[in-house]
Amino acid sequence: MSAIRRITVIVGYEWRRALAKKSVLALIILAVAVQTLILTLYSQFTAGTMFLTEEVKPFMWILGVLQGQGLFVQLIAIIIAGSTMSEEYEQGTADILLSKPITRVEYLSGKFLGGFSLLALVEALTTVVGVILASWFFGPQNGLQYVPLMFLAIVYSTLIFFCLSFMFSEALRRSTLAMLIALAMLIASSIISQLLAWLYITTSEYLYFYLSRGIPTWGSNYFPSLLMRELMTIPSTTFLNLINDPLIPIEAAKRGVSEAVLVREALQQAAIIVAIYAIIFILVAAYRLLKSDVTKKTA
Amino acid sequence: MSSHSVLTVSNLTKYYGKFRALDSVSFTVDKGWVYGYLGPNGAGKTTTIRILLGLLRPDQGEVQVAGINPARDPVNALQFVGYAPELPTLQTFFTGEQLLDFMGKMFGLSPQARKEKIWQLLDLVGLKEWGKKKIGNYSKGMVQRLSVALALVNDPMVLIMDEPTIGMDPEATAHFRSLFTSLSKEGKTIFISSHLLDEVQRICTHVGMINKGKIVFTGPIEQVLEAFTQQWVVEAELERVTETMVSSLKKLDFVDDVRVEGNKLMIALKEKKDFRGEISSEIFKRKGVLLSLNLHKITLEDAYLRALKGGP
Repeated sequence: MSAIRRITVIVGYEWRRALAKKSVLALIILAVAVQTLILTLYSQFTAGTMFLTEEVKPFMWILGVLQGQGLFVQLIAIIIAGSTMSEEYEQGTADILLSKPITRVEYLSGKFLGGFSLLALVEALTTVVGVILASWFFGPQNGLQYVPLMFLAIVYSTLIFFCLSFMFSEALRRSTLAMLIALAMLIASSIISQLLAWLYITTSEYLYFYLSRGIPTWGSNYFPSLLMRELMTIPSTTFLNLINDPLIPIEAAKRGVSEAVLVREALQQAAIIVAIYAIIFILVAAYRLLKSDVTKKTA
Repeated sequence: MSSHSVLTVSNLTKYYGKFRALDSVSFTVDKGWVYGYLGPNGAGKTTTIRILLGLLRPDQGEVQVAGINPARDPVNALQFVGYAPELPTLQTFFTGEQLLDFMGKMFGLSPQARKEKIWQLLDLVGLKEWGKKKIGNYSKGMVQRLSVALALVNDPMVLIMDEPTIGMDPEATAHFRSLFTSLSKEGKTIFISSHLLDEVQRICTHVGMINKGKIVFTGPIEQVLEAFTQQWVVEAELERVTETMVSSLKKLDFVDDVRVEGNKLMIALKEKKDFRGEISSEIFKRKGVLLSLNLHKITLEDAYLRALKGGP
């Protein structure tokens, strides 16, 4: 049997394991429900305001998709990844799996790909729901040819917190602890990023600007919206402010360049930052699995 | 290591922090042997098994399964190994059938082979009626039985079982004992870690005894009984024990000592031979009324306890 076949077997196993958990299913339903609620509220309370002009309505699918991608999808990523490795140690099933003819790298790859592909499926669901709801509430939508790219960008951007939670899951071998630490880092990172942006705005010190971009949430939050800005021309500044990095217009004014130049630059930085974090987190998890003993049942 | 060695453990040392769980453990298990691995709790039995499966890394030494180190090449080393852990926890979201199917996939079995094997194995371990039920609904004994079925899914060359009958009722224990015996007759090598000395004595051809991380004996079961036998004892139960009877028995050439315990005489023999005929003749000569006469050689339990104390 080839290595790819063995990895595929673990991917299938991981899907069954994750979907057997009621908490994951509940969060998926909640994410879709919150997404529906947000778009309903927008359609009800912004009608006739400066925000919801006729020219903005065809772009509301972007908001619908990105709102779904926000907190709930990150939370689902953390929950799926946080238990992927650790639950096998906690329940003592790691012994059963790793005493079979499979290398640890194959096992780790199968676990990672299984969890991440499940997350991608959830993201596909929230993307489709976002587009359908936007069409429902706001009429025909523009730029729908970019939906697959938007979906891939969202999948890519969730790599950071998925990998972070996955790393803690293997390193700590305790699901709850892994999820709590990853969640705390998501919240802390979000706050620190905002704080650094504010410090940059008030002091104009570039150190804060670069630090704010180095924080995991920046790449994770802004990569999909930066890509949309790169691909499409969105006619409303008010709308853009809802989904975009607030430092871009400030920086553009300061440097005297167009926002498009800075969007492209930020997009590249965001892509690199997501990749760097994801690679580091995966390598730490792999090192832990390859170099240490398989712990016996811990729960 | 002989060319027939299926399991080879060489100079294995393993530390948990500062605690030395295994101290230069070495033994081999050849093809077709049923090897009983004995030792008290915490002696290092499970640690040895987990190193054999590549789950733990030894600090020193090496293990080989069919000549391959499982830590370096688990795919080839574990392909022909079946493992049933002690008090296993199985994936409760699967049914018994689904878990066997998944394990079959892990061994690369074709869908047809899995289909044929699954119900055959469920029947073998007495779980045919439960195959379509979630494992979460199984009792401990049923989980243990399913674990043995899982260990057999790949038709392994070597079966490694850690306390395989723990949690089973006496009927299931007897069933599995005969199953292990028939598997060994098919030529499978079986490595059993067990506390149940009676079980080991009945089905094992060889034993390894471990205490405080050190091997105190390894070899054929007859050899261990021989090695730890100090002397054979004849126990004679009489209606009444007299002084003259004791002194006359003590004078016999083959008698080493005679001890009186109520109406019983414990006659220690100089040689490991059955002298019950001679002893009963002597008792009749002295007008004694014999109620019972038994020869005590040594049980595996006696040998085991002596081995743990440090020698014959």
